[in-house]
This record gives sequence, structure tokens and C-alpha cells, in this order.
Amino acid sequence: MRAAWTIAKREVRSYFTSPVAYVVLLAWTFVSGLSFYTLVYWFAGNPSTGGSDNPLTLFFGGTVLFWVPLLVFAPVMTMRLFAQEKSSGTLEALLTSPVSETSIVAGKLLAAMVFWITLWIPSLLYVWIVSRYGDVDLGAVGASYLGILGIGLFYMSWGMLMSAIAPNQIVAAILTFLVLGLLFTAGIMQFVVHDETRELLAYLSVWTHMSDFAKGVVDSRWLTFDLTMTALAFWLTVRVVSWRRVSA
Amino acid sequence: MLEVEQLTKRYGTREAVKGISFRVNEGEIVGFLGPNGAGKSTTLRMITGFLAPTAGSVRIAGIDAVADPIRARERFGYMPEGVPLHTEMRVHEHLRFRAELKGIRGKKAVDAAVERSLAQASVSDAVDRIIGQLSKGYRQRVGLADALLSDPPLLILDEPTSGLDPNQMRAVRALIRGFEGKKTVFLSTHILPEVEATCGRVVILDAGRVVGEGDPSELRSRTSAGALRFVGRGTKDAFEAALARFAEDGELTLESNGELVRGRLVVEGEDAAEKVFRAVAEAGLALRELSAEATSLEDVFASLTTEDGSDDEDSGEESDADEGEAA
Repeated sequence: MRAAWTIAKREVRSYFTSPVAYVVLLAWTFVSGLSFYTLVYWFAGNPSTGGSDNPLTLFFGGTVLFWVPLLVFAPVMTMRLFAQEKSSGTLEALLTSPVSETSIVAGKLLAAMVFWITLWIPSLLYVWIVSRYGDVDLGAVGASYLGILGIGLFYMSWGMLMSAIAPNQIVAAILTFLVLGLLFTAGIMQFVVHDETRELLAYLSVWTHMSDFAKGVVDSRWLTFDLTMTALAFWLTVRVVSWRRVSA
Repeated sequence: MLEVEQLTKRYGTREAVKGISFRVNEGEIVGFLGPNGAGKSTTLRMITGFLAPTAGSVRIAGIDAVADPIRARERFGYMPEGVPLHTEMRVHEHLRFRAELKGIRGKKAVDAAVERSLAQASVSDAVDRIIGQLSKGYRQRVGLADALLSDPPLLILDEPTSGLDPNQMRAVRALIRGFEGKKTVFLSTHILPEVEATCGRVVILDAGRVVGEGDPSELRSRTSAGALRFVGRGTKDAFEAALARFAEDGELTLESNGELVRGRLVVEGEDAAEKVFRAVAEAGLALRELSAEATSLEDVFASLTTEDGSDDEDSGEESDADEGEAA
């Protein structure tokens, strides 16, 4: 597993030497800032309508402004993980080093998670801003970040799998967008359908997961879902990387 | 050090490498020669574990590379074709990363390994430069430094001099020759002078099959028919008369050019040149030049890869066998 750490370090460094990282960080900071501003503005104008909601509970997963950019940015964040090494040929050097496929995949996922977490650092500012003008339920904030960590694992691992499958970065990004987008759409179908599939769809729905976390409800089913999806993608990525040796 | 047994790679119905076997002994520098598309890279990729063989076995320092890949990979340094490097990194960053990946532990040990391999590949002056900005010759040497990081007993180099200018080629060849007796080197190439300049032994691959194996001079003598070239003064007829007895079992071609005659005589025997000289002198003719025609490895290569290759009815299909992975 020391090799995983070595790989993660290099991967993180390479993230932050490419302009893509800064474009994503800047764009996400702008969009999330806009979303936060709009929410604060709305709550300020309608002080009585909030109920249990406040700008922070809605900020974490309660609006389209949260999900749509993430569904676009997550594929961009993961597309290079394997696809770039395939096109530059460095995958050959990596796969002929004395390290296991599991270490390689673990290192890549760890690096993507470091990037994912970096994405959320600016949001701490919003928590601080709200805390200056009102009460902040720190438990709910903690739960929100736990939820974000879970979704991060889920999104980054599936993006990584697509990057391992795809022949290049563009295809990797498109595949990731399709997979995550389909799952997301299936999830929000819970608001549309009213038969027995509704419960299943709610279980799949990251929107439901996040709004629970944002209220401070830590539902282990949602964490189990994220970890299961991550483990599945992780295992599949290891299989894809090993299978390359046979089929390529 | 390296034993390859019945190694086969099949892509669907197409066989890129057809059950080849050879071995490389400790301390040897062996060239793996073949035309482009013969299956050299595919073979190296199977040896290094980047590709799984369809059949056959690879043993590196006695370790089964298929059953125990990670331990086997600790025993060699590999420079893949085209020398893929992380172009956004600086040379020392890249080499530190690779050293850690190869299991070198601790800052001191990593620094020492990086410094040593940089010096061995004579690329120390580029240590702080960004790889993407280096010339091809430098990148090649950084790739070599990478392969040398863990001070492995076996070096596997895929086309180590491709794309270099003549001076750089000479430098890299000298570097490789310097490993003789200290490290085992297995290098692929389609450049013949490279083999003659660096390798003690050569394995020739064509259309996925080993078509020749031996030391370069032995292979050369195998196809050498012993031709003599000469330039003399006199008439064409006089020379023809003087050399008539050699022409009976040999082959004589003459062309006259003013008062000079140029000729080529294929004749058996080590003392053929002496006999020809005497015969010409006895006929009262004068010789200006007489030399044995050197059979280059190029001729050996051409005769081995075209003759054996054309026997193989589907050799044409195999010709792009190891280009497939490139994309």
C-alpha cells in the first residue's frame, strides 16, 4: 500500500500542474458561490418560510445548482486518471513496475479524493458566514460533509472506472457523465413515479441522501450505498486494468 | 537470467508471436533483431508483464514472471518503446517517483539511487529540467536512468536508440556496451549496426518466429559465400583467361573501364585471395586492389527474414503485429 501512497502523491501533483484542476476549482467556486448567494438572498427576503431549512441545508444538495455542475465536473475530475496514462504510454511503465493493480487503483482513487475534498474547502467560508449572522447546527454541517465524502467516493470511483475502460479522456468524461447522469435521473424519478419502484428509486437517489445528511440525519443505508458502489467500481477497475494485460 | 519458452501471443485468430524460445545468460548483451512489426515489442511486453502471454512461459532470474509477476518485475529495469515519461514533471521528480514505486525506501536511499542512475545514464545536467522540454536524446537517457534506478541485474530496452541523431546513438551504445559483464541486457532494435556495435549475441525475429540466433560474426559467416572484389590493369579477356579455373566452380563477373578491369569472384577457401593474386601475377597482369567482400549483418538479416518469412504463407498479415498496441 506504500506504492498507492507514492502513486497518489504523483497523481495529486499532476492534477495541480494541469489547467483543468484550476478551471474546475474556479468554476465550482463561482457556481457554488452563486448558489449560496441566491439562497441567502431568498431566505433574507422570506424569513418566515424557511421551516427547518436554512441556506446551508439547501446549499448541500437541495438545489439543481448543486447537482448539475457536479455531474459535469466529476467526469472532468476523473477522466485523466487512467486514460491519460494510456494515451501517453506511461501506463506501460506503471504496469511493469513491481506494484499490484490494487495499489495502483487505490493510489488513483486517493488522489481523486484529495481533489474532491479540495473542491469543498471554499464552502467552509459559507458555513463561517452563516455562523456570523445566525445559528449553525454544526452536527448537520458535519453530517453534510460526511455525505459529500460518501458521494465523492461514489462519483470518483465510477469516474475512475470509466477512465480505465475508455480509450481516451473525452470518452471517459462522456461515459462518466452518462453513468452518473442516468443514476441521478433515476433517483429523482422518485418525485415523479408513485408505484412500488418509488422506494427503490429513493434508495438510489443521491438527492435524497444529501438532503437527509444536510438536515443532520446520518442514515447508514446511504453510507452503505455509497461504499458499496465505491467497492464495486474499485473492484471492476482492478479487473479492467488486469484484463488489459490479457486482451490488449 | 532470462528464459523464454514457447512464448505465444494470439489476438483473436492472428498470432503475433508464434511459440518462440530463447535464453539470455547472465552478463550477456543480446540484441533482439527484426523488421518493424515482427513482434519484438509484443515479446518484450510479455516478458515485462505488460501483456499476458497466450501460452508459454517467461522466467526472470529463475522466477516465473506469469505466476509471480511482482517479484519478477523487481529484477529488471524496462525502457518501453518510445520512452513514455511524465512530461509535466521535472527529471528528478519523475525519477524520485519511479524510485519509490520500485520499492526504494527512505529519502536518502531514493536520493542516492536517483543520483547514481543519472550519472550512469550521463544525464545529471538535466536534473532540474521539465521532461516535456527535453530533447529526444535527453528523454531517451532519462528513460535509461529510470530503468537503472533499482540497480537491476537485467535491463530490457525496447529500441533504445530510435529517433536519436548519430552522436546520441553512439553515446547510448557506448553506455550499453559499458554494462557488459556487469548487467544482463536484452535490447530490441531494427538497426543492424547497433547489434554489431553493442551485442555479443543476437536473436533474429521475423513474423513472430525466431529465424536465427548466434553471435553476429557467426551469423555473418553462415551466409558468407566468400566473394572477392578486385581492380586490375589489363583487358577483360586477359583477366577472364587468367581466372578461368576459378570461374568453373565459382562465379566471375568482369567489367572493363578504360584500361582498368573491375571484377567480382565468388570462390571457396580461405586462401582464395592468395591464389587469385598468384594467378593474375602469373598471367602478367597487374592488380591495383584486391579485397574480400564483407558480408554485413544486413545481408544475413535480409536472407533470414525474407527467405524464412516468405515460406510463411500468412506472414503479410503479421507484419503490423506489434503496431496494434501503439494506439
